[in-house]
Amino acid sequence: MSVYKHNYRAYTGKLTPGWARIFVLARYGYQDAWSSKITVGIFILCLLPCLVFLFAIYLANNPMARLLLGNHAPRILAINAEFFLNLLYAQFGPALVLAAWIAPRLITFDLADDALPILLSHPISRFGYVFGKWIALFTALSLVTWIPDLVLFAYQGYSSPQPWAAANLPIAIGLLAGAMIWIAFLSLLGLALSSWVKWRVVATGVIFAAILVPAGVGSIVSAVLRTKWGLLLNLPLMISILWQRFMGVPGFANSQEASLPTAAISAMLMLVCLLFLAMLFARIRAREVVRG
Amino acid sequence: MGVIDLEGLEVRLGNRTVLNGLTGALQGQVIGLLGPNGAGKSTLINTLLGFHRPSRGSARVFGLDTHRDRSQIRAGIGYMPENDSFIGNMSGVRFVRYMAELAGLPPEQALERAHEALFYVGLGEVRYRKVNTYSLGMKQLVKLAQALAHGPKLLILDEPTNGLDPIARQRMIQLIKEIRAEGSVRLLISSHLLRDIDETCDEVLILKNGHIAALCNIEEERRANRSFMELETVDATEQFSVRIRGLGCECACFPGGRIKLVIPGHVEARDLYVIASEQGVQIRRMNQRRDSLEDIFLRAMDHEWTGPVHVSL
Repeated sequence: MSVYKHNYRAYTGKLTPGWARIFVLARYGYQDAWSSKITVGIFILCLLPCLVFLFAIYLANNPMARLLLGNHAPRILAINAEFFLNLLYAQFGPALVLAAWIAPRLITFDLADDALPILLSHPISRFGYVFGKWIALFTALSLVTWIPDLVLFAYQGYSSPQPWAAANLPIAIGLLAGAMIWIAFLSLLGLALSSWVKWRVVATGVIFAAILVPAGVGSIVSAVLRTKWGLLLNLPLMISILWQRFMGVPGFANSQEASLPTAAISAMLMLVCLLFLAMLFARIRAREVVRG
Repeated sequence: MGVIDLEGLEVRLGNRTVLNGLTGALQGQVIGLLGPNGAGKSTLINTLLGFHRPSRGSARVFGLDTHRDRSQIRAGIGYMPENDSFIGNMSGVRFVRYMAELAGLPPEQALERAHEALFYVGLGEVRYRKVNTYSLGMKQLVKLAQALAHGPKLLILDEPTNGLDPIARQRMIQLIKEIRAEGSVRLLISSHLLRDIDETCDEVLILKNGHIAALCNIEEERRANRSFMELETVDATEQFSVRIRGLGCECACFPGGRIKLVIPGHVEARDLYVIASEQGVQIRRMNQRRDSLEDIFLRAMDHEWTGPVHVSL
């Protein structure tokens, strides 16, 4: 097979290892995600909170700025766990928007033209397919969450006149763990819901709805039944409680939220993840299996 | 070891047994898979690709179990599905490159082979266009290109001429013949068009209701140089068929008094006239001809196959 000779020849070159195929899916998915200008726009939007917090760190370590703020400086410009927790809060929404935009692009193109039989006829399993797409989304979300967060942490460590970074290492660990759990969950949610909707715009809406509607229902359940367990349906709340606990920030004092055990939150997140995995594996098939 | 070995293969989808006890060894260079709708052709292909797990028995491709070694099997297979199956928002070359990389080619080689495959199938000039702007024939060809790009050992083509106009169909058949002539690729072609199979295949597996209706080597059948005869009769009776069989002929009766015969060397046309005269049967027409795939197919549809791996008709 040659462009000039126009005849078939077998391939006799080397082959990549089996595990590398997952990264082929991830790479192509990642490229597809970034082929849209809207993705670039949302990405810039997602980095705005980081720029604001970067400026805050700069001010906190600038003697002139501290002098200008006078007595308020220690309170306003305190770079501590709460500061980085607020950074995570600020990234929550933009990351959700980015996931809701990218996830459907990763899956629906394959589903719309029924590409799964061809894709899965290659030496890649259904798990490999899902994992490859998940890596693409996780990587995109990493660029707007934990990677800039750790850069800010490092910048603070560099800018601070005291040996700050070593003393506050638990903040970095909490930041990393909190952001990773959030984007890992978000990636799974985005892929699972996108796999059941063929139209990208609808899939984006469904992802938002999946976060917001159960939160509302959970609040109603909690209010009507006077129980704290309804809050387990409130994903943003559960994630924020986890972040607080990871970073050692006291919050929601004397409230129902404060009494939600970490184990219950973790179990709920795991349960939802398993549900998402079941949804994905029910949908990601080379062929429909006809029952009857 | 055959290309495909089936040992009591049974595949159930839900409560329905789609493939039931398939046993045989397919060894041809180009194997045709024939059968009416719902016979189980696509299910067999899906099973060979490891999409369905056999509920009983086993299927092997190049000696590898289709379920246990499916990853290895898929690495050596190029698959062209029957229906539209592509990524429409990708250009032809990017799509084929993507599939080649998934099959294990490094990115540079995959790109090179993608260009070559697209030129080879005749899509060189449109390789930068998005696949969803292609015509039906082009979509068939891009599916063939992606199946070929990584240089598979076995090429599975599910209805390759589906929806093609006569020129495009001829081009597809020509490509299959060229691939066959190159010699490094075995082909499994599923089709409901006997002519496509007849032109390209040397072995044929005919399925009917999930069973093997016939499995024969077309080349061997042709080489056997046996005499075939087609009779058009009036008032032919069962007794007439029995008498002809008594001469050692194989006989298949069809509506309208048509009878197809395989005549052993010692039987003359005159013997048939004698029997017809004795039975009061008019022979209106007598054609002596070679066996065709249509005969094999029709006979297979008429009778359930119970013999060993290869049957003679």
